[in-house]
Amino acid sequence: MRNLVTIAAFEFRTRVRRISTWVYFTIFFALAMLWAAAAGGVIPGAIVSFGSGKVWINSPYAIAQTMAFLGMVALTVIAAIMGRAVQQDFEYRTEHFFFTSPIRKWEYLGGRFAGAIAVLILILSSIAFGAALGLFLPGIDPDRVGPFRLLAYLIPFATIVLPNLVALGGAFFCIAALSRRMLPVYIGSVVLLIGYLAAQGLLRDMENKVLGTMLDPFGVVANSRLTEYWSISERNTRLIPFEGLLLWNRLLWLGIGAAIIGICSHRFTFAYPGTSGKARKAAVEGDASPVTAMATLLTVDPEPASAWRLLPRMVWLNFRETVKNIYFGVIALAGVLFFVTTSTTSGSFFGTTTWPVTYQMLELVSGTFGVFMLVIITFYAGELVWREREHRLDQIHDALPIPTWLPFAAKLGALMLVPVVLQAVLMLSGMGVQTAKGYHNYELGLYVHWLFGIELIDYWLVCVLALTVHSVVNQKYLGHFAMIVYFLVISFAPLLGLEHNLYKYGVTTNITYSDMNGFGPFLPRVRIFEAYWAAAALLLAVAGYLFWVRGTTDDWKGRLALARRRFTPPVAAVTTVGAVAMAALGGFIFWNTNILNTYTTTYDQQKRQADYEKKYKALAADPQPKVTTVKVAVDLYPREQRVRMKGGYGLENRTGKPVDVVHLFFGPGERLRINALEFSAPAALVTDDPRIGLRSYKLAKPMAPGATLDLAFDLEVPTRGFRNSDATTDVVANGSFVNGQTVLPFIGYGERGELATDRDRKKFGLAPKERMRDRDDPVGLAENALAPDADFIAFEATVGTDADQLAIAPGYLQREWTEGGRRYFEYKMDSPILDFFAFQSARYAVTKDRWNDVAIEVWHHPGHEYNIDTMIAATKAGLDYFTAKFGPYQHKQFRIIEFPRYAAFAQSFPNTIPYSEGIGFIARVRPDDPEDIDYPYYVTAHELAHQWWGHQVPGGNVQGETFLVETLAQYSALMVMKQKYGAEKMQRFLRYELDRYLLGRSTEEKKELPLSRVENQPYIHYRKGSLIMYALQDYIGEENLNQAIRAYRDDWAFKGPPYSSASHLLAKIRAVTPPHLQYMIDDFFETITLYDNRALSAKAKALPDGTYEVALQVFAKKRKADELGKETDVPLADWIDIGVLDADGKPLYLEKKKIEQEETTLMLVVPKKPAKAGIDPFNKLIDRRPKDNAIPVEID
Amino acid sequence: MPFELTISGLSKTYPNGVKALSDVSLTIPPGMFGLLGPNGAGKSTLMRTLATLQQADTGTARLGDIDVLRDKDAVRRTLGYLPQDFGVYPKVSAETLLDHLARLKGLNDAGQRRDVVATLLKQTNLHDVRKKALGGFSGGMRQRFGIAQALLGNPRLVIVDEPTAGLDPEERVRFHNLLAEIGENVIVILSTHIVSDVSDLCARMAIIDRGRVLLTGDPAHLTAALDGRVWQKAIARTELDAVKAAHPVISTRLLAGRTLVNVVADAAPGAGFAPIPATLEDVYFHAIAGRRQDAAAVPLAA
Repeated sequence: MRNLVTIAAFEFRTRVRRISTWVYFTIFFALAMLWAAAAGGVIPGAIVSFGSGKVWINSPYAIAQTMAFLGMVALTVIAAIMGRAVQQDFEYRTEHFFFTSPIRKWEYLGGRFAGAIAVLILILSSIAFGAALGLFLPGIDPDRVGPFRLLAYLIPFATIVLPNLVALGGAFFCIAALSRRMLPVYIGSVVLLIGYLAAQGLLRDMENKVLGTMLDPFGVVANSRLTEYWSISERNTRLIPFEGLLLWNRLLWLGIGAAIIGICSHRFTFAYPGTSGKARKAAVEGDASPVTAMATLLTVDPEPASAWRLLPRMVWLNFRETVKNIYFGVIALAGVLFFVTTSTTSGSFFGTTTWPVTYQMLELVSGTFGVFMLVIITFYAGELVWREREHRLDQIHDALPIPTWLPFAAKLGALMLVPVVLQAVLMLSGMGVQTAKGYHNYELGLYVHWLFGIELIDYWLVCVLALTVHSVVNQKYLGHFAMIVYFLVISFAPLLGLEHNLYKYGVTTNITYSDMNGFGPFLPRVRIFEAYWAAAALLLAVAGYLFWVRGTTDDWKGRLALARRRFTPPVAAVTTVGAVAMAALGGFIFWNTNILNTYTTTYDQQKRQADYEKKYKALAADPQPKVTTVKVAVDLYPREQRVRMKGGYGLENRTGKPVDVVHLFFGPGERLRINALEFSAPAALVTDDPRIGLRSYKLAKPMAPGATLDLAFDLEVPTRGFRNSDATTDVVANGSFVNGQTVLPFIGYGERGELATDRDRKKFGLAPKERMRDRDDPVGLAENALAPDADFIAFEATVGTDADQLAIAPGYLQREWTEGGRRYFEYKMDSPILDFFAFQSARYAVTKDRWNDVAIEVWHHPGHEYNIDTMIAATKAGLDYFTAKFGPYQHKQFRIIEFPRYAAFAQSFPNTIPYSEGIGFIARVRPDDPEDIDYPYYVTAHELAHQWWGHQVPGGNVQGETFLVETLAQYSALMVMKQKYGAEKMQRFLRYELDRYLLGRSTEEKKELPLSRVENQPYIHYRKGSLIMYALQDYIGEENLNQAIRAYRDDWAFKGPPYSSASHLLAKIRAVTPPHLQYMIDDFFETITLYDNRALSAKAKALPDGTYEVALQVFAKKRKADELGKETDVPLADWIDIGVLDADGKPLYLEKKKIEQEETTLMLVVPKKPAKAGIDPFNKLIDRRPKDNAIPVEID
Repeated sequence: MPFELTISGLSKTYPNGVKALSDVSLTIPPGMFGLLGPNGAGKSTLMRTLATLQQADTGTARLGDIDVLRDKDAVRRTLGYLPQDFGVYPKVSAETLLDHLARLKGLNDAGQRRDVVATLLKQTNLHDVRKKALGGFSGGMRQRFGIAQALLGNPRLVIVDEPTAGLDPEERVRFHNLLAEIGENVIVILSTHIVSDVSDLCARMAIIDRGRVLLTGDPAHLTAALDGRVWQKAIARTELDAVKAAHPVISTRLLAGRTLVNVVADAAPGAGFAPIPATLEDVYFHAIAGRRQDAAAVPLAA
């Protein structure tokens, strides 16, 4: 034991004296501090938070997240230190000193292990110090800091970081001990990283959450999973308990670590490698005969430099040496496995996958696999740079008569071939997955273009960087770490406000591929950035060459002197070319992003919003006219990505006061070109603020109450060059989708343009504000939330587009003609609609059908026929249900129009539904699979329902508006779905809704509100709305509820102002709710109510008559949460389902019982053999642990 | 102009302050040249500098009309170098690696290269094992492989740094034969701390210590110069310190349990000292000892 301590102490001491230890320490310290600083508001441009701006940056949750994440980043440090702890003896050939000492094997291994662990604890403790000291930086917002708690730092360190050190570090240590090399250690770390990435991929499907959690070796996923449903208040106050999935994950990985350590200590021997066990390789028998006479020494004189001829061969040799071993095979195989694993959930939505279209396979590759590729490139760069030196062939090699650039170029070439091979492997994997899923439209050209034409170039840029870094840094592990820092900087720079791509090496901006529009507007920008970074790569390569270590000079002074000497005229010429190209391309990019377009960071945008409020809030008091008619000629120029809107508004003064000044706000801001803007009465432009997008006109003669006025406009939004981050995706070559509100002016001051979150407002010196007006505020009820500057309007539009495209707008087609090589469509609406419309154009195929006198049309991309029948079926079923239960449909047509996946939503405009190709057109709903949810059916029904909820009955601009519009649409869709798929399938759907509600409330930025006061919070109006409404119809009956809803519609359809509020709907619902359930209306709509229901025990015995008697003990608790999720228990007197289920999950007994105690015991008799029993077994009530409601029945 | 290696005023100080070379000047004609010195004398620094692997701080070196320190590429085209400590790719065969290195040396013609590689492998007696992985080679075999690669491409300057370290006596003899043959036409610089290597092989030599050249010349002449001035006495171990204090002892060694001390003096230094014929070893130790006494004397004098 004393030996062990001695060895450990020696290891620790030597490590602590090394500079690298402190470099690592400093970097982790800085990262943790930077993170706290960014989240705490020190950096004005940063948009970092721990899920929500309401979570304290030193809350136990935030600290655990930081530690888990940085603990994972520390993977390579762990690998380096643990592996080196034992491998160094083999590298430095000092193993004999130890192996021949009177120490035991376990003392040697244990000592080294303990010493290395101690060093790592020292290094990683910097995370805690950094996170804690970061709070004292100047500029930290005191509101974001909670009380200091030592345990908040110690617990995650002990439960997440420390097990990682022991388990993963142990594995690395053992791999190094047995292989006596570092390469396998790094391969091991890559495999672990893949485990993590695969775990992330699996999480997309709720069914896989447990598997995904266990698969993650770092505990990052487990930590997140454990706390995912925690409310803001819990995140701020609760210490992370060591329980549940986190505990199991840690135990699993500690177990795996222990097993590896066990095998290692068993297999490891002190013997010389060739003599232990089976002799692995026989030594070559030496020939003892004397040397032959030298008379025949051939005198072949070498020829002058032939480096260019040597290059391909050296590239090939270096490449072969890199890939021709088991390790590369392991990496490639791991890549394939990863791909196959994550492809199982690719595109998953409600646990239902899509058809494996090629772009999806490719996005899978570039998303998560990209990270993995970067890791591989980095570490092979290290291997290549150090190869000669590690084999001690460097002196011979360096004295050869070859130019210094040759080995550098050869290694670069070899390194660049590595991603080529892996991309090819991925391509085959992708096609394999497609084939296995029965999809055969491989789109080979797309594969090649994407993998080799775009992505490979990005990887090559990384290759140059990695090789240069390793050449310049000239310390392998530090080089690896420098690359990790690079990756982190690149990944997190946008969060810190560094958004311009001009200074992020290798970032060539994202591409969203669409079946409809291909690479669309993204490709030219990518190409220019690639060229720009290629020029930078040339400069990097020059640096890598200049500092390439040849010979034994490795001090900086000597290397600088050598570099100066290597900077010959040809090198200077190359440098000049690179610098000039970079400057020229950079200038061109800058001209595009900052001169042709306005460069705006997130911070700039927020500042603009703040300025808008500061400068113009006062305008809100000015009376403004409302829009009464819109007549517009829209000209779409798909290839130029330009739209022009010419037409006019009819305005009417519906206020009781004269209108003196009319304010017009334009969404596109500086992108907008105003060709003409004219009122039908004399008016003078008094304010023109293009940055904000405001124009104010003073009318020569004020508009009297009831007076009308026309506004004629000719507006244009051109696309000039390209922008830094976003691209024009509304007008595109094929699949334009322009929302009228984004171009046409808004009349008056719109509160929606203000900064919303308190954190952002504080940054700009604005006081916190309520997001919306009170539910019953008459000022808010005077306008509708969808288009506050209008009531119901008359609408007609002409849309012009390319000759080969179809264009569409709400309304009925009046006329279609071709003129000047362009095609025009004239649409006119026959009844008043809300001021909410969009224009679309693409090369569509149109599928038509009918329901009674309603024309149903689906305009879609040819090839996307998979779910059109479903959409039509859902439309018919919806029309059946909604017209029967809620009231007549106001239109004679219903059209679904596909648009590219630049956005993933469907949106209901009057009789026209733009529907993203990404959320249903390629869904693969297997009718025989009980797990699959037919979400195209659901989405279609939901959007159809909006024709009633939103378009017939708009809500006032107050709290609870989206409850009226979205929750009712959600409820309507659920009922249509229930009709088709039955209650059981609904349960699965609702489980997803519960999950998303609970996740949503934990990242709330301001406050959670009860359903009837929802402030446009999707997790409430959709997710909680589904749960509540489904439960309500179960409790009070679907027919009853529908009656109430119909009564509400009848009161409010096509009415306003004033518009309806949630109070109106609630009154109707209360009226149909029996007295004993009235409490539910409060629980469901007026407060935030959560249940903790669970089954405690369930025993059954067979009775002589063949029935079973079940003794069931259940637990129930009801809690009310405040706006940050702080809970208080409330007394229980609630009606809750008690159920006994058979083996198929069908109820044998299901009754609502009034539960008044926490624990209740019930005796029930069921006709058949029971399998499960419990309280609220179908999860109708909101419960954070839905799975423990029913448990298996023990049968005596 | 004769083909000679001329070194003048070469100095090198490492960043940690160690003065590895200080004002080294040597002229080395074709033939075997022995560079003798204790460990840490600066031999390897000098070798590496000549082999283009290291920068000197000051000084020049010319090989014929090539500026060794500047025109590294020209040197490399005519250089054969066997470093003191080198490795190989363990999984590659001798033939493959030698062929690869031959290409890099500029042997572009495949047929010629094959012949050269085959010949060198035969000459170094590795032809039978040419297909075997280098990882399984013994120390001697690996050293022979090292010399084979150093001879690739007809070098006119061959630098071998401590080549016989780790070789058994028989292999050492073989190795010497090989070197002797090469040394007939080209400059061969043999760096060693084993005196007999030099006396056996070299026509010219230099002794260096602590970065300075102490002596240079023909081993035979240098030995002759010391003849008649070397005295030896057998003493007990316990007397050693007293003898060292009284006489300029250049070396001591053990013989049958007694300690033999060698002293250089113009006349018999005292009772029991007998004259012995001078060897190159005495020259070496005399040079080193003289240098060290000088060095020790400096602080006293100061």
